[in-house]
Amino acid sequence: MAGGTALRRSVYRLRLSWKLTSLNVRARLEYRVEFALGILAGILWQASVMVFATVLISRFPGLGGWSSGGVLLIASIRLLSHAVYGVLFANVNRLHAIVQEGKLEAFLLRPLPVYRQVVLHQFHINTFGDLAVAVTLFSLALRRLALEWTPFKIVFLCAAVVGGALIEAAVQTALSCAALRSPTATADWTGWLDHTLSTFGNYPLAILPGAVSGLLTFVLPVAFIAYLPAAVLTGTYEGTLVPREIALASPCAGVVLFLAARRLWNWNMRRYEGIGG
Amino acid sequence: MNSKSVPVIAERLTKTFRVAHRSAGFMGGVRAIFRPTWEYKPVVRGVSLSVQPGELVALLGPNGAGKSTTIKMLTGIVAPTTGSVRLCGLDPHRNREENARNIGAVFGQRSQLWWDLPARDSLVMLRDIFEVPAGEYRERLRQFDDMLELSRFWDTRVRHLSLGQRVRCDLAAALLHDPAVLFLDEPTIGMDVLVKEQVREFLRHQVAEDGKAVLLTTHDMKEVEHLAERIILINDGEEMFEGGVAALRSRFGATWKVHVTLSDAVGHPRLAHARIVAREGARVTFGPRPEASAPLGHALKEIINAYPVSDVSTEEDSLEDIMRTYLGGAAAARQSASGGSRMAAR
Ligand SMILES: Nc1ncnc2c1ncn2[C@@H]1O[C@H](COP(=O)(O)OP(=O)(O)OP(=O)(O)O)[C@@H](O)[C@H]1O
Ligand SMILES: [Mg+2]
Repeated sequence: MAGGTALRRSVYRLRLSWKLTSLNVRARLEYRVEFALGILAGILWQASVMVFATVLISRFPGLGGWSSGGVLLIASIRLLSHAVYGVLFANVNRLHAIVQEGKLEAFLLRPLPVYRQVVLHQFHINTFGDLAVAVTLFSLALRRLALEWTPFKIVFLCAAVVGGALIEAAVQTALSCAALRSPTATADWTGWLDHTLSTFGNYPLAILPGAVSGLLTFVLPVAFIAYLPAAVLTGTYEGTLVPREIALASPCAGVVLFLAARRLWNWNMRRYEGIGG
Repeated sequence: MNSKSVPVIAERLTKTFRVAHRSAGFMGGVRAIFRPTWEYKPVVRGVSLSVQPGELVALLGPNGAGKSTTIKMLTGIVAPTTGSVRLCGLDPHRNREENARNIGAVFGQRSQLWWDLPARDSLVMLRDIFEVPAGEYRERLRQFDDMLELSRFWDTRVRHLSLGQRVRCDLAAALLHDPAVLFLDEPTIGMDVLVKEQVREFLRHQVAEDGKAVLLTTHDMKEVEHLAERIILINDGEEMFEGGVAALRSRFGATWKVHVTLSDAVGHPRLAHARIVAREGARVTFGPRPEASAPLGHALKEIINAYPVSDVSTEEDSLEDIMRTYLGGAAAARQSASGGSRMAAR
């Protein structure tokens, strides 16, 4: 009986999320020109990523002990997880705007978790463009690599993509806490994070000096998003800074970090002081 | 009465904001980053209040008195620094989601509706969020539409609504789930006279017929006179007064006048509650005795009993006059107090 109610509640929650999303899509469609331009800009950006990737593959024989297909695998896992992050969490780094527009206070008056309302707050169609490009690059990488796919590897890949998305979500969620505490906090550093992830996340970290690579493994866990999962899938362990077992467990990093970031977020949310007026 | 049956109880609420203190100039800015100095700004200082079912209480005070901050603590948007709040038996900050089902809130300055969509879409979404059964939703919407004429504009995008139209939609949105408690922070700001009257009528209905507990802030004293049974006056975060309009009058020395025309020349018996302040032939004007400011009603009765009166008219300070006198006095007191402390520091 209790199971039945729990199931009903989750179905209800999903339907509500769906309704909120479709409402937000309709809100975006009110600005047709902007919407169309947004899609166009997205396509142009995605195309430039593709061109860059193709050039990369055709020019470089390999990088830091990785074949060009391997490098492409890292990049495409990174983009896949980034796209999943985008579809689910794109609004997290817009929290400062949500706070400043007073929308957070409206969220607080509704019987729904605030974080969920933040995440569902706007719908960004372009994240699907990111997803399409990521899938295309991923299939290119597979064609070059001729990996042997086992059920374990398929499950591991899916887990790694979700884990990578959660790592990005965790870092953005932790950074967004500043917006809960100070209404003047801006999003400058979330842009910085985007930049760092796309600069370092797409390559084998073994090519970097040890200190930098260490920083990107243990401090800002970029390595766990794509580099370590790709190492597991291709069996290229040389140059990684963690033992094989840790690389195998890399999808868990996202779960742990995300749960920690959510706790931090809730802690800060409880201390929200309002925006005056 | 137990705490569950009183919709709103707040005890000795305080709120102190911590704000970063920044000294002027570039170096001040740099120092603020590395060694921020904090200033503690007490904004609400010990406010206690309660609202019963079927009662409308007005929370009054000058700009910056702490009215909105108090409402934010009562609605669970921010946590009080000290003190306690119980809303229908719940702590609104700890049990925010559950509490949200018991309350509705309208902030006149800000909308809670989806800005880019017709107002009706927001109402439908809120119906789903608050799980209002379809029949109840239709019935309530019809009632709101009857009283607030929403259907004339609810298909317009919220961003294009006039202020008065938007706030009426916000009112409907706040009451859609039939909450026991309603918080209104300057709801009638920017409304024309007719719409104000419409909204007042609507609120009266919510209080008298539906038994809602309503806490209202406004700067419109007419509204208070028309709607509020009780007034809570705060200034500088401190509660200055709590009680009915009549009590507020006598407390803040509100004055009145009674003009009468005498039909016979008579002597002048001494009255307990009134004294003559002016006379011109048969026309006499009474005012309160300086030693005891009696309510107008008592004095009037006494005058009519003691004098042969052919015509009477009365004049009374409006709530606005009282507030003006009170706030003017409070401002002067503050000024002389701060002047005094400056003297002491020297
Ligand atoms: N988040 C905040 N941080 C710092 N100070 C704040 C904050 N919110 C409000 N204040 C300050 O608290 C004081 C009281 O503000 P509040 O909005 O409660 O006043 P109010 O009584 O609603 O005034 P008004 O009639 O102008 O609406 C003001 O001095 C305001 O600057
Ligand atoms: Mg206010």
